[in-house]
Amino acid sequence: MNPNSKKRQVDFQVIARWVKQGDRILDLGCGRGVLLEALMQQQSVYGVGIDIELDKIISCVKRGVSAYHGDVHAVLKKFEDASFDRVIFSRSVDLLEQADVTLTEALRVGKHVTVGFVNHGYWRNRLSFFTQGRRIHNEVYPNQWHESRPSNPFSIGEFDQFCKSTGIRIVNRKYLRGNWRDTCPFFPSLCAGYAIYDLTKG
Amino acid sequence: MNDSEALVSTFEEGEVGIVAHSDFVSKVPFEFESGGVVPGLCLRYETYGHLNKDKSNAILICHALTGDHHCAGVYDMTERKQGWWNFMVGPGKPIDTKKYFVICSNVLGGCNGSTGPRSINPETGKPYNLDFPKLTVRDMVRAQALLIDSLGLDRLHAVIGGSMGGMQTLQWAIDFPERLGRYAALACCARHNAQAIAFNDTGRQAIMRDPAWKKGVYASDAPPAHGLAVARMMAHITYLSDAGMEARFGRKRRAEDSSREHFEVEFEVESYLRYQGQQFVSRFDANSYLYLTKALDRFDLHGSDGRLDEMLKAVQAPGLVVGFGSDWLYPPQANREIVEALLRLGKPASYAELALNAGHDSFLLRAPKLDALIRTFLDR
Repeated sequence: MNPNSKKRQVDFQVIARWVKQGDRILDLGCGRGVLLEALMQQQSVYGVGIDIELDKIISCVKRGVSAYHGDVHAVLKKFEDASFDRVIFSRSVDLLEQADVTLTEALRVGKHVTVGFVNHGYWRNRLSFFTQGRRIHNEVYPNQWHESRPSNPFSIGEFDQFCKSTGIRIVNRKYLRGNWRDTCPFFPSLCAGYAIYDLTKG
Repeated sequence: MNDSEALVSTFEEGEVGIVAHSDFVSKVPFEFESGGVVPGLCLRYETYGHLNKDKSNAILICHALTGDHHCAGVYDMTERKQGWWNFMVGPGKPIDTKKYFVICSNVLGGCNGSTGPRSINPETGKPYNLDFPKLTVRDMVRAQALLIDSLGLDRLHAVIGGSMGGMQTLQWAIDFPERLGRYAALACCARHNAQAIAFNDTGRQAIMRDPAWKKGVYASDAPPAHGLAVARMMAHITYLSDAGMEARFGRKRRAEDSSREHFEVEFEVESYLRYQGQQFVSRFDANSYLYLTKALDRFDLHGSDGRLDEMLKAVQAPGLVVGFGSDWLYPPQANREIVEALLRLGKPASYAELALNAGHDSFLLRAPKLDALIRTFLDR
């Protein structure tokens, strides 16, 4: 068992609270379908997961989760406006090629869009760069730069700025501390390790 | 270890061994979608494994254009060639005959024991030939449903098939939504594109322009062998891929022989295709080939108004569609669009794409991920 996998599911509880009974949910970068399986069982949602890795799709099939093997952006185009109640990005926005384009498309397809992301501006990350001149290496960032997928980590401040400039409405947001468990009440851009946003079109 | 590693771990595998076929004979007139009628029909089929007490473990396998009911095992111990999906069907295999009762029948319109153009028309005492009614994929499926009825089965655990078998599978899910628990369609499409129709018609023309075809009225020992062989050779190319052919044949030549005429077999790939053509003539009926390819060309889940979503509304069971990256006959996009429509409709459906380089025929070759996918889908 990957030690990171528990942490990986950190936003599930928050997301589940925002999901309504019987919602139509599209999970972009669904991984092994753990979130959708839980939502299907507990809240009787109609869930669809998208992932680019075949092994993840096989795991979804094993869980009885509908899964589509392919590119997130390409598949969004196949759905009509507001055809899902909620589109979820759980730790997948930083992996998108053109995050702005895909998020806009997700806001077209979903009535709500949930984005869960690691706050790259968390104080430990800043400190690591400040004192050592290198990016932090821990369970959140387990791989060295040369052995990990290309990704665009961003901070809470940057995401807020993005929402503001594109007119995306932030309906709700939740910050978690560095342990990704407790609520972070103060200075989230510095003190939050993880953030979850509930968005709608402006 | 993560769970995908567990999925591809090895299973203790056996063989179904020696098998024999059976014939389902119906004396009830069968009306085709086109309105044509045959006074009765026969479907040749094989079964593997055992039906459980509550009759809930039956899986129907639908074969491809030139396949037949013999998908696993051998007919006797001296036979070297096993059924066409032998790696998939057997004890411990992805379609596990220790768990499932597996049925595979030769399609209506086929030529390996089931009623088709070569069968004797009881009204004339002669082969139907071109008097055989116009055939559709839906006719094939409706005939299979009669066979399933005759076996006392209300419901199938699953229907599965590749290529033309995938089309039958989709038709099953549409026409008999409450009779199947799930379905898996591999290397398939909702309808032929212009390219697929073009290849099929060129094959049909090769047959129909062979003087031996005689408007479909040929003796069984004097078939339009040249036309049928050329049709097969060309079709066979569409089942492979550029990369696959290059890896297997490249420009390899047969043994150097200076006495060889200029246009005799020179390259390995020529030799392979000619052999495939000849082999095919010995096992397939030309008229049957015409009817089946035409049924494929006319298969269209988009319907006359071009709305795939409309046609798939009837589907209830969870589905799995598998596309293959190197398949240029029924390319990934043709497979994907089926699942996209199902998901728009709010149906449970999954799409997986395998990066194998064997082209359209990839579903006929063993691959660990394909094994894992099918096993997982059927067993859950």
